[in-house]
Amino acid sequence: MKKNVYEPRYRYHAGTVAWILHRLSGLALILYLAMHIWVIHHLNRPLDFNNIMAFLNEPVFKILELGLWGVIVYHALNGLRIIMIDFFTRKGAAVQKQMFWGAVVLGVVVFAAGAIPFVGTMIK
Amino acid sequence: MKVTFKIQKFNPENDTKPYMKEYTVATHPNAAVLDCLNDIRWHQDETLSFRRSCGHAICGSCAMNVNGKNGLACQTLIKDLKQGVITVRPLPSFPIIKDLVVDLDKFYAKFSKVIPYLNNDGPVPEKERIQLPEQQKIIEESTTCILCASCTSSCPSFWADDDYLGPAALVKAFRYVFDTRDTTAEKRLKMVNDKNGVFRCHTIFNCNEACPKDINITGHIAELKLALVTTKM
Repeated sequence: MKKNVYEPRYRYHAGTVAWILHRLSGLALILYLAMHIWVIHHLNRPLDFNNIMAFLNEPVFKILELGLWGVIVYHALNGLRIIMIDFFTRKGAAVQKQMFWGAVVLGVVVFAAGAIPFVGTMIK
Repeated sequence: MKVTFKIQKFNPENDTKPYMKEYTVATHPNAAVLDCLNDIRWHQDETLSFRRSCGHAICGSCAMNVNGKNGLACQTLIKDLKQGVITVRPLPSFPIIKDLVVDLDKFYAKFSKVIPYLNNDGPVPEKERIQLPEQQKIIEESTTCILCASCTSSCPSFWADDDYLGPAALVKAFRYVFDTRDTTAEKRLKMVNDKNGVFRCHTIFNCNEACPKDINITGHIAELKLALVTTKM
Protein backbone atom coordinates (compact mmCIF):
# COMPACT_ATOMS: atom_id res chain seq x y z
CA MET A 1 0.00 0.00 0.00
CA LYS A 2 1.08 3.55 -0.68
CA LYS A 3 2.23 5.29 2.46
CA ASN A 4 3.10 8.78 3.67
CA VAL A 5 0.06 10.59 2.29
CA TYR A 6 -2.55 12.79 3.86
CA GLU A 7 -5.89 10.97 4.24
CA PRO A 8 -8.40 13.47 2.83
CA ARG A 9 -11.32 11.11 3.51
CA TYR A 10 -10.82 11.31 7.26
CA ARG A 11 -13.55 13.28 9.02
CA TYR A 12 -12.79 16.92 9.83
CA HIS A 13 -13.55 18.63 13.16
CA ALA A 14 -12.58 21.88 14.91
CA GLY A 15 -9.07 20.60 15.73
CA THR A 16 -8.29 19.61 12.13
CA VAL A 17 -9.59 22.90 10.75
CA ALA A 18 -7.60 24.87 13.34
CA TRP A 19 -4.43 22.96 12.43
CA ILE A 20 -4.83 23.32 8.64
CA LEU A 21 -5.61 27.05 8.92
CA HIS A 22 -2.64 27.50 11.26
CA ARG A 23 -0.32 25.81 8.74
CA LEU A 24 -1.67 27.82 5.79
CA SER A 25 -1.57 31.13 7.66
CA GLY A 26 1.99 30.31 8.76
CA LEU A 27 3.03 29.73 5.14
CA ALA A 28 1.31 32.97 4.09
CA LEU A 29 3.22 34.86 6.80
CA ILE A 30 6.55 33.41 5.62
CA LEU A 31 5.71 34.50 2.07
CA TYR A 32 4.77 37.97 3.30
CA LEU A 33 7.96 38.25 5.35
CA ALA A 34 10.10 37.41 2.32
CA MET A 35 8.33 40.04 0.22
CA HIS A 36 8.54 42.56 3.05
CA ILE A 37 12.32 42.12 3.38
CA TRP A 38 12.67 42.39 -0.40
CA VAL A 39 10.79 45.71 -0.41
CA ILE A 40 12.64 47.13 2.59
CA HIS A 41 16.08 46.21 1.21
CA HIS A 42 15.51 48.85 -1.52
CA LEU A 43 15.67 51.60 1.13
CA ASN A 44 19.32 52.34 0.30
CA ARG A 45 18.19 53.24 -3.23
CA PRO A 46 15.48 55.87 -2.62
CA LEU A 47 14.38 56.13 -6.27
CA ASP A 48 13.74 52.38 -6.59
CA PHE A 49 12.03 52.37 -3.21
CA ASN A 50 9.67 55.19 -4.23
CA ASN A 51 8.78 53.35 -7.43
CA ILE A 52 8.00 50.17 -5.50
CA MET A 53 5.93 52.04 -2.93
CA ALA A 54 3.93 53.67 -5.71
CA PHE A 55 3.33 50.22 -7.21
CA LEU A 56 2.26 48.85 -3.81
CA ASN A 57 -0.35 51.60 -3.49
CA GLU A 58 -2.47 49.84 -6.14
CA PRO A 59 -5.89 48.71 -4.77
CA VAL A 60 -5.05 45.00 -5.21
CA PHE A 61 -2.24 45.34 -2.64
CA LYS A 62 -4.59 47.16 -0.26
CA ILE A 63 -6.95 44.19 -0.40
CA LEU A 64 -4.00 41.81 0.11
CA GLU A 65 -3.00 43.93 3.11
CA LEU A 66 -6.45 43.43 4.56
CA GLY A 67 -6.00 39.69 4.03
CA LEU A 68 -2.63 39.88 5.77
CA TRP A 69 -4.30 41.43 8.80
CA GLY A 70 -6.78 38.52 8.90
CA VAL A 71 -3.97 35.99 8.61
CA ILE A 72 -2.00 37.64 11.42
CA VAL A 73 -5.03 37.77 13.72
CA TYR A 74 -5.88 34.09 13.17
CA HIS A 75 -2.29 32.87 13.50
CA ALA A 76 -1.76 34.88 16.70
CA LEU A 77 -4.99 33.82 18.40
CA ASN A 78 -4.73 30.15 17.46
CA GLY A 79 -1.09 30.32 18.55
CA LEU A 80 -2.34 31.42 21.97
CA ARG A 81 -4.75 28.46 21.96
CA ILE A 82 -1.84 26.07 21.31
CA ILE A 83 0.20 27.74 24.09
CA MET A 84 -2.75 27.18 26.43
CA ILE A 85 -2.78 23.48 25.48
CA ASP A 86 1.00 23.29 26.04
CA PHE A 87 0.92 24.87 29.48
CA PHE A 88 -2.43 23.71 30.84
CA THR A 89 -1.99 20.25 29.23
CA ARG A 90 -5.01 18.06 30.00
CA LYS A 91 -7.22 20.92 31.17
CA GLY A 92 -6.29 22.98 28.11
CA ALA A 93 -6.79 20.09 25.70
CA ALA A 94 -10.21 19.34 27.21
CA VAL A 95 -11.52 22.76 26.14
CA GLN A 96 -9.65 23.02 22.83
CA LYS A 97 -12.86 23.22 20.78
CA GLN A 98 -14.27 26.03 22.90
CA MET A 99 -10.90 27.80 22.67
CA PHE A 100 -10.96 27.42 18.87
CA TRP A 101 -14.43 28.96 18.57
CA GLY A 102 -13.41 31.62 21.10
CA ALA A 103 -10.40 32.45 18.93
CA VAL A 104 -12.66 32.65 15.86
CA VAL A 105 -15.16 35.01 17.54
CA LEU A 106 -12.44 37.17 19.10
CA GLY A 107 -10.58 37.09 15.79
CA VAL A 108 -13.58 38.47 13.90
CA VAL A 109 -13.91 41.31 16.44
CA VAL A 110 -10.19 42.18 16.35
CA PHE A 111 -10.15 41.89 12.56
CA ALA A 112 -13.12 44.26 12.25
CA ALA A 113 -11.55 46.72 14.71
CA GLY A 114 -8.55 47.00 12.40
CA ALA A 115 -10.28 46.54 9.05
CA ILE A 116 -13.08 49.12 9.41
CA PRO A 117 -10.81 52.17 9.88
CA PHE A 118 -8.47 50.74 7.19
CA VAL A 119 -11.27 50.46 4.64
CA GLY A 120 -12.44 53.95 5.72
CA THR A 121 -9.12 55.52 4.73
CA MET A 122 -9.06 53.45 1.53
CA ILE A 123 -12.43 54.81 0.38
CA LYS A 124 -11.39 58.39 1.10
CA MET B 1 -35.03 -0.85 8.96
CA LYS B 2 -32.77 -1.42 5.97
CA VAL B 3 -29.27 0.03 5.94
CA THR B 4 -26.83 0.11 3.03
CA PHE B 5 -23.16 -0.49 3.74
CA LYS B 6 -20.28 0.39 1.45
CA ILE B 7 -17.35 -1.73 2.55
CA GLN B 8 -13.80 -1.61 1.28
CA LYS B 9 -12.70 -5.01 -0.01
CA PHE B 10 -9.19 -6.09 -0.92
CA ASN B 11 -7.79 -9.55 -1.41
CA PRO B 12 -4.07 -9.31 -2.20
CA GLU B 13 -4.19 -12.67 -4.03
CA ASN B 14 -6.68 -11.48 -6.67
CA ASP B 15 -6.99 -7.68 -6.53
CA THR B 16 -4.48 -5.05 -7.55
CA LYS B 17 -6.11 -2.35 -5.44
CA PRO B 18 -8.94 -1.99 -2.90
CA TYR B 19 -12.50 -1.46 -4.16
CA MET B 20 -15.86 -0.64 -2.52
CA LYS B 21 -18.71 -3.17 -2.39
CA GLU B 22 -22.29 -2.47 -1.36
CA TYR B 23 -24.44 -4.60 0.95
CA THR B 24 -27.95 -4.04 2.30
CA VAL B 25 -28.74 -5.30 5.79
CA ALA B 26 -32.06 -5.48 7.65
CA THR B 27 -31.22 -4.18 11.10
CA HIS B 28 -32.29 -2.12 14.11
CA PRO B 29 -31.26 1.46 15.09
CA ASN B 30 -29.78 0.11 18.32
CA ALA B 31 -27.60 -2.41 16.48
CA ALA B 32 -23.86 -1.81 16.27
CA VAL B 33 -21.89 -1.67 13.04
CA LEU B 34 -20.21 -4.91 14.12
CA ASP B 35 -23.61 -6.69 14.29
CA CYS B 36 -24.25 -5.66 10.68
CA LEU B 37 -20.79 -6.81 9.57
CA ASN B 38 -21.46 -10.17 11.24
CA ASP B 39 -24.81 -10.34 9.44
CA ILE B 40 -23.12 -9.68 6.10
CA ARG B 41 -20.45 -12.28 6.74
CA TRP B 42 -22.89 -14.95 7.95
CA HIS B 43 -25.65 -14.43 5.37
CA GLN B 44 -24.32 -12.57 2.33
CA ASP B 45 -20.57 -12.68 1.78
CA GLU B 46 -18.48 -15.19 3.66
CA THR B 47 -15.28 -13.79 2.15
CA LEU B 48 -15.62 -10.51 4.08
CA SER B 49 -12.74 -10.35 6.57
CA PHE B 50 -12.57 -8.28 9.73
CA ARG B 51 -11.22 -8.69 13.25
CA ARG B 52 -13.58 -8.97 16.17
CA SER B 53 -13.55 -10.65 19.51
CA CYS B 54 -15.43 -9.47 22.60
CA GLY B 55 -18.09 -7.22 21.06
CA HIS B 56 -18.19 -5.13 24.24
CA ALA B 57 -15.62 -2.42 23.51
CA ILE B 58 -12.87 -3.80 25.68
CA CYS B 59 -10.66 -6.01 23.48
CA GLY B 60 -9.93 -3.38 20.82
CA SER B 61 -9.99 -5.85 17.89
CA CYS B 62 -12.72 -4.31 15.75
CA ALA B 63 -11.18 -0.84 15.34
CA MET B 64 -11.99 0.44 11.84
CA ASN B 65 -12.87 3.59 9.94
CA VAL B 66 -16.66 4.09 9.89
CA ASN B 67 -17.96 7.08 7.91
CA GLY B 68 -14.49 8.60 7.85
CA LYS B 69 -13.82 8.35 11.58
CA ASN B 70 -11.87 5.69 13.45
CA GLY B 71 -13.54 3.81 16.27
CA LEU B 72 -14.72 0.41 17.44
CA ALA B 73 -17.34 -1.21 15.20
CA CYS B 74 -18.98 -2.80 18.26
CA GLN B 75 -19.38 0.57 19.98
CA THR B 76 -20.64 2.51 16.94
CA LEU B 77 -24.44 2.28 16.85
CA ILE B 78 -26.45 2.69 13.65
CA LYS B 79 -28.66 5.38 15.23
CA ASP B 80 -25.61 7.53 16.08
CA LEU B 81 -24.46 7.61 12.45
CA LYS B 82 -25.65 10.01 9.79
CA GLN B 83 -28.61 8.65 7.81
CA GLY B 84 -27.75 7.12 4.45
CA VAL B 85 -25.02 4.81 3.22
CA ILE B 86 -22.50 3.78 5.88
CA THR B 87 -18.94 3.60 4.60
CA VAL B 88 -16.58 1.16 6.30
CA ARG B 89 -12.85 1.14 5.59
CA PRO B 90 -9.86 -0.41 7.36
CA LEU B 91 -7.79 1.77 9.72
CA PRO B 92 -6.04 4.32 7.49
CA SER B 93 -2.32 4.22 6.79
CA PHE B 94 -1.63 0.66 7.99
CA PRO B 95 -0.78 -1.99 5.37
CA ILE B 96 -3.92 -4.01 4.50
CA ILE B 97 -3.76 -7.78 4.94
CA LYS B 98 -7.30 -8.46 3.66
CA ASP B 99 -10.50 -6.35 3.54
CA LEU B 100 -10.74 -4.66 6.95
CA VAL B 101 -7.81 -6.50 8.53
CA VAL B 102 -4.63 -4.42 8.78
CA ASP B 103 -1.05 -5.28 9.69
CA LEU B 104 -0.34 -3.91 13.18
CA ASP B 105 3.23 -5.25 13.55
CA LYS B 106 4.84 -1.81 13.35
CA PHE B 107 2.28 -0.41 15.77
CA TYR B 108 3.20 -2.99 18.40
CA ALA B 109 6.93 -2.56 17.69
CA LYS B 110 6.64 1.14 18.52
CA PHE B 111 4.60 0.32 21.57
CA SER B 112 7.35 -1.91 22.94
CA LYS B 113 9.90 0.88 22.32
CA VAL B 114 8.56 2.94 25.24
CA ILE B 115 9.21 0.06 27.72
CA PRO B 116 5.50 -0.59 28.43
CA TYR B 117 5.89 -2.34 31.78
CA LEU B 118 6.73 -1.43 35.35
CA ASN B 119 10.43 -1.11 36.24
CA ASN B 120 11.74 -0.61 39.72
CA ASP B 121 15.43 -0.87 40.60
CA GLY B 122 14.76 -0.69 44.36
CA PRO B 123 14.63 -3.67 46.71
CA VAL B 124 11.68 -6.01 46.18
CA PRO B 125 9.10 -5.42 48.92
CA GLU B 126 7.52 -8.29 50.81
CA LYS B 127 4.00 -7.35 49.68
CA GLU B 128 2.81 -5.16 46.80
CA ARG B 129 4.28 -1.74 45.95
CA ILE B 130 2.12 0.88 47.65
CA GLN B 131 0.51 3.68 45.69
CA LEU B 132 -1.70 6.40 47.19
CA PRO B 133 -5.13 7.07 45.62
CA GLU B 134 -4.07 10.58 44.54
CA GLN B 135 -0.95 9.13 42.87
CA GLN B 136 -3.12 6.62 41.03
CA LYS B 137 -5.44 9.39 39.92
CA ILE B 138 -2.66 10.96 37.80
CA ILE B 139 -2.32 7.85 35.63
CA GLU B 140 -5.87 6.49 35.91
CA GLU B 141 -7.11 7.83 32.57
CA SER B 142 -4.06 6.59 30.66
CA THR B 143 -4.44 3.06 32.08
CA THR B 144 -7.79 2.64 30.32
CA CYS B 145 -6.16 2.36 26.87
CA ILE B 146 -7.19 -0.89 25.13
CA LEU B 147 -4.56 -0.69 22.33
CA CYS B 148 -7.08 -0.66 19.48
CA ALA B 149 -4.82 1.59 17.31
CA SER B 150 -7.70 3.95 16.43
CA CYS B 151 -5.71 6.97 17.62
CA THR B 152 -2.39 6.22 15.94
CA SER B 153 -4.12 5.48 12.64
CA SER B 154 -6.11 8.75 12.86
CA CYS B 155 -3.04 10.94 13.37
CA PRO B 156 -1.90 13.06 10.37
CA SER B 157 1.62 13.17 11.83
CA PHE B 158 1.64 9.37 11.65
CA TRP B 159 0.27 9.39 8.08
CA ALA B 160 3.17 11.64 7.11
CA ASP B 161 5.82 9.71 9.02
CA ASP B 162 5.75 5.98 9.64
CA ASP B 163 8.43 6.28 12.31
CA TYR B 164 6.48 8.64 14.58
CA LEU B 165 5.82 6.82 17.87
CA GLY B 166 2.14 7.72 17.67
CA PRO B 167 -0.49 8.59 20.28
CA ALA B 168 -1.00 5.05 21.64
CA ALA B 169 2.69 4.50 22.46
CA LEU B 170 2.93 8.00 23.97
CA VAL B 171 -0.08 7.41 26.23
CA LYS B 172 1.61 4.22 27.45
CA ALA B 173 4.85 6.15 28.01
CA PHE B 174 2.86 8.67 30.06
CA ARG B 175 1.28 5.86 32.06
CA TYR B 176 4.70 4.65 33.30
CA VAL B 177 6.58 7.97 33.40
CA PHE B 178 4.09 9.31 35.93
CA ASP B 179 3.67 6.03 37.82
CA THR B 180 5.16 6.67 41.28
CA ARG B 181 6.24 3.03 41.60
CA ASP B 182 8.37 3.17 38.47
CA THR B 183 12.03 4.27 38.54
CA THR B 184 12.90 4.42 34.83
CA ALA B 185 10.97 7.58 33.95
CA GLU B 186 14.12 9.32 32.68
CA LYS B 187 14.90 6.55 30.20
CA ARG B 188 11.38 6.77 28.81
CA LEU B 189 11.42 10.57 28.68
CA LYS B 190 14.65 10.41 26.68
CA MET B 191 12.99 7.94 24.30
CA VAL B 192 9.96 10.20 23.68
CA ASN B 193 12.26 13.25 23.30
CA ASP B 194 13.58 11.65 20.09
CA LYS B 195 12.89 13.33 16.74
CA ASN B 196 10.09 10.81 16.21
CA GLY B 197 8.71 11.42 19.69
CA VAL B 198 6.27 13.81 21.35
CA PHE B 199 7.26 16.91 19.40
CA ARG B 200 5.81 15.41 16.22
CA CYS B 201 2.41 16.01 17.82
CA HIS B 202 0.90 19.15 16.30
CA THR B 203 -2.24 19.21 18.49
CA ILE B 204 -4.61 18.21 15.69
CA PHE B 205 -6.85 16.27 18.13
CA ASN B 206 -7.84 13.49 15.69
CA CYS B 207 -6.72 11.01 18.36
CA ASN B 208 -9.01 12.51 21.01
CA GLU B 209 -11.92 12.34 18.58
CA ALA B 210 -11.18 8.72 17.66
CA CYS B 211 -10.47 7.23 21.11
CA PRO B 212 -13.29 4.80 22.04
CA LYS B 213 -12.30 5.13 25.71
CA ASP B 214 -12.45 8.95 25.59
CA ILE B 215 -8.86 9.38 26.77
CA ASN B 216 -7.67 12.99 26.46
CA ILE B 217 -4.67 11.78 24.44
CA THR B 218 -3.41 15.15 23.18
CA GLY B 219 -3.57 16.43 26.77
CA HIS B 220 -1.44 13.52 27.96
CA ILE B 221 1.10 14.15 25.18
CA ALA B 222 1.13 17.85 26.15
CA GLU B 223 1.93 16.79 29.72
CA LEU B 224 4.89 14.72 28.45
CA LYS B 225 6.09 17.75 26.43
CA LEU B 226 5.85 19.96 29.51
CA ALA B 227 7.73 17.37 31.61
CA LEU B 228 10.49 17.28 28.97
CA VAL B 229 11.03 21.03 28.98
CA THR B 230 10.80 21.43 32.75
CA THR B 231 12.92 18.50 34.04
CA LYS B 232 16.72 18.41 34.02
CA MET B 233 18.08 15.24 32.49
